[in-house]
Amino acid sequence: MLSLVQRNEDEVLKETRSIIERSCIPPGISSIEMPPFRDPKTFLAQYTKPDSAVKIKFNRGTTTLAFKYGGGVIVAVDSRATGGSYIASQTVKKVIEINPYLLGTMAGGAADCQFWERVLSKHCRIYELRNKERISVAGASKILANMVYSYKDMGLSMGTMIAGWDKRGPGLYYVGDDGTRVTNNIFSVGSGSTYAYGILDSEYKWELSDTEAYELGRRAIYHATHRDAMSGGMVRIYHMKSTGWVKISEEDVTDLHYKYKEAEARQ
Amino acid sequence: MFETRPSSVQHPTEHRFNPYEMNGGTIVGVAGEDFAVVASDTRLSEGYSILSRDNPHLYQVLPKTVMGSVGFHGDCITFNKTLQIRLRMYEYENNKKASTPAVAQLVSTMLYSRRFFPYYVNTIIAGLTNDGQGCVYSYDPVGSYEREVYRAGGSSAALIQPLLDSQLGQKNQGSFELNRSYTVKMSKEEVVALVKDIYTSATERDIYTGDAVFINVITKDGVVTEHFKLRRD
Amino acid sequence: MSGLIKEPEVGGFSFENCKRNEYLMTKGGFTVPKAIKTGTTIAGVIFKDGVVLGADTRATDGNIVAEKNCHKIHYIAPNIYCCGAGTAADTEYTTRMVASQLELHRLNSGRQVRVVSANRLLRQYLFRYQGHVSAALVLGGVDINGPYLGSIHPHGSSDRLPYVTMGSGSLAAMAVFEDRYKPDMSEEEAKELVADGIRAGIFNDLGSGSNVDLCVITKDRAEMIRPYHVANERGVKQGNYLYKRETTQVLKKFEKKVHYEVMSTNVKEIRPAAETMEIA
Repeated sequence: MLSLVQRNEDEVLKETRSIIERSCIPPGISSIEMPPFRDPKTFLAQYTKPDSAVKIKFNRGTTTLAFKYGGGVIVAVDSRATGGSYIASQTVKKVIEINPYLLGTMAGGAADCQFWERVLSKHCRIYELRNKERISVAGASKILANMVYSYKDMGLSMGTMIAGWDKRGPGLYYVGDDGTRVTNNIFSVGSGSTYAYGILDSEYKWELSDTEAYELGRRAIYHATHRDAMSGGMVRIYHMKSTGWVKISEEDVTDLHYKYKEAEARQ
Repeated sequence: MFETRPSSVQHPTEHRFNPYEMNGGTIVGVAGEDFAVVASDTRLSEGYSILSRDNPHLYQVLPKTVMGSVGFHGDCITFNKTLQIRLRMYEYENNKKASTPAVAQLVSTMLYSRRFFPYYVNTIIAGLTNDGQGCVYSYDPVGSYEREVYRAGGSSAALIQPLLDSQLGQKNQGSFELNRSYTVKMSKEEVVALVKDIYTSATERDIYTGDAVFINVITKDGVVTEHFKLRRD
Repeated sequence: MSGLIKEPEVGGFSFENCKRNEYLMTKGGFTVPKAIKTGTTIAGVIFKDGVVLGADTRATDGNIVAEKNCHKIHYIAPNIYCCGAGTAADTEYTTRMVASQLELHRLNSGRQVRVVSANRLLRQYLFRYQGHVSAALVLGGVDINGPYLGSIHPHGSSDRLPYVTMGSGSLAAMAVFEDRYKPDMSEEEAKELVADGIRAGIFNDLGSGSNVDLCVITKDRAEMIRPYHVANERGVKQGNYLYKRETTQVLKKFEKKVHYEVMSTNVKEIRPAAETMEIA
């Protein structure tokens, strides 16, 4: 047991060192132009006010969740994007397929999540080619955290979960736009997360069967979309297994609503 | 490593000119089975003034790829110019023209490259996929993007999108079955007729839309442009 | 005083929510609801026998056309009319209030009211509110002193001129007037000139649109011509957008029997529609 812990620590140390080495110069920084003024956050804020004629509205608003259990990791998300009170889209892909063993989720600014997780997928591929093995979930999430940390306080907006499977088994990390990086069994991110946690916490246990786990994720997202105006569209479920991720389902929330109503009536 | 600015430091007040303007205009994109339609009105405005009655917000970036771009006209033309250059570089480096999906990804990264001082543009890319299917991509100002079946952008977007949802998406009309297809089942002619009606209606209620509409129909044979008059008040 | 029911308000504006609203705007993150503006072209011209007033018919709410055929030429007195630009509610109520005061004045004095009286009442009212009552007016009429035409600005200043324009399309309309106005025009000439001025606003100013309304006031009559000209026809639809029957999904059906008693029976002959039309 002791030797196992020892080896993991060594690996983590080696991995972390090489990652930090490479991400000191944040990947992609050369491609992002620095603005000709001091504070991009306040600069942009003046164009998001409702009384401004020029309105730059980024797509945002979300419910996403992921949890680890005996059978792997379940990732469940809604699909609505809002720009202010306008529903910009009902079909957004909030699960970003980084590679066959890694999934990222999208909450906060849609462009920030999409772009940085795409950069992340590039780095994960380079890691694979250099090291002849897949990157760990810990490593991947740390690359992302380091990248966004270098843009701290410049107004990036992302709350993302990195789910995957590596030699340590199922992995799940939360990475925030301020550089936060934490691991746990259950996460839910976005404006509807409180509703999702409500369902998740009351039903969650490690011993869930696969179908039970899918249904838990589905119900949690459905209930969040029911109460949170910023969430909606459809519920997408992904399952991370030892063999990589599998897309489980994609259902319209209206459809789910009547299905649940019908099931309720039958009881 | 990275120098982080202490937030407590007081900076002198900056005075800056407003780099943006809203120049109106409306764009619509629809993906068909073997064609794509992208349309735009031709009005360019600033405040209560009309700058041009003959300025379609469409940019043909490749023989079979058209970009619709509205928002701040200065950013629209700059972005278009930069995109053209990047596409030429692509052609020289890869010895082939970029496919529409490749253009779509390039547009996203280019928009994001100005994440901290964005291009004030709403963008739609229309064209054909490698297997000849119609495709439409839509973007927010900083490059979040998605392939879609139909999309309205610009000053009348909130007026038109619900109509498209009803007429093309068949939303809330009996079946909640998910439409997993990336194209509409209508013919070119039907889509063009719908687009004309959409613009006559949008022009009734949006002061920044009017004068005329340009409709580009993209097929494997190239782009055909149709012109349709709108009210001019 | 400390009754449970609030004392009825005395006339005029109520300012009781001003402090609360200010707090909501600064601390509460609320925004003030927008009033509908008549981003407008209004104009008037004096001709040989009287005055012609003109207006477009668009009302806007931000970039949205709120009303495509609104009245902008308001009644003041049988011999006086007034075009309004600015906040729709302000022009409407300012002119109505002044119309009412002038009617009382007429009943008191037993004389036809003069346009100068209308002008003074409007000016003094607007000055009192220091431009917060957002009404820009073109006042025209004919009285014992002959034709009168003038403009009144929201802060209370006024001009008396032979040809005036106001509103967001005033520059477009004034360009036409400066080019073609001449003294002692005929009624037809004056009507076409004003209509052309309004049309210049309709087509070149985004705040103005739809139709041209005119009002011709002479010594003996005041005539509202609405519309004088439909400057823009609505486009013709290509398709048909009627939904098929039963498009809306039926989620639940229930029947309920309504019990009723027959109180009386009445037999009526149903005539064909064509015949009833003849009677009317």
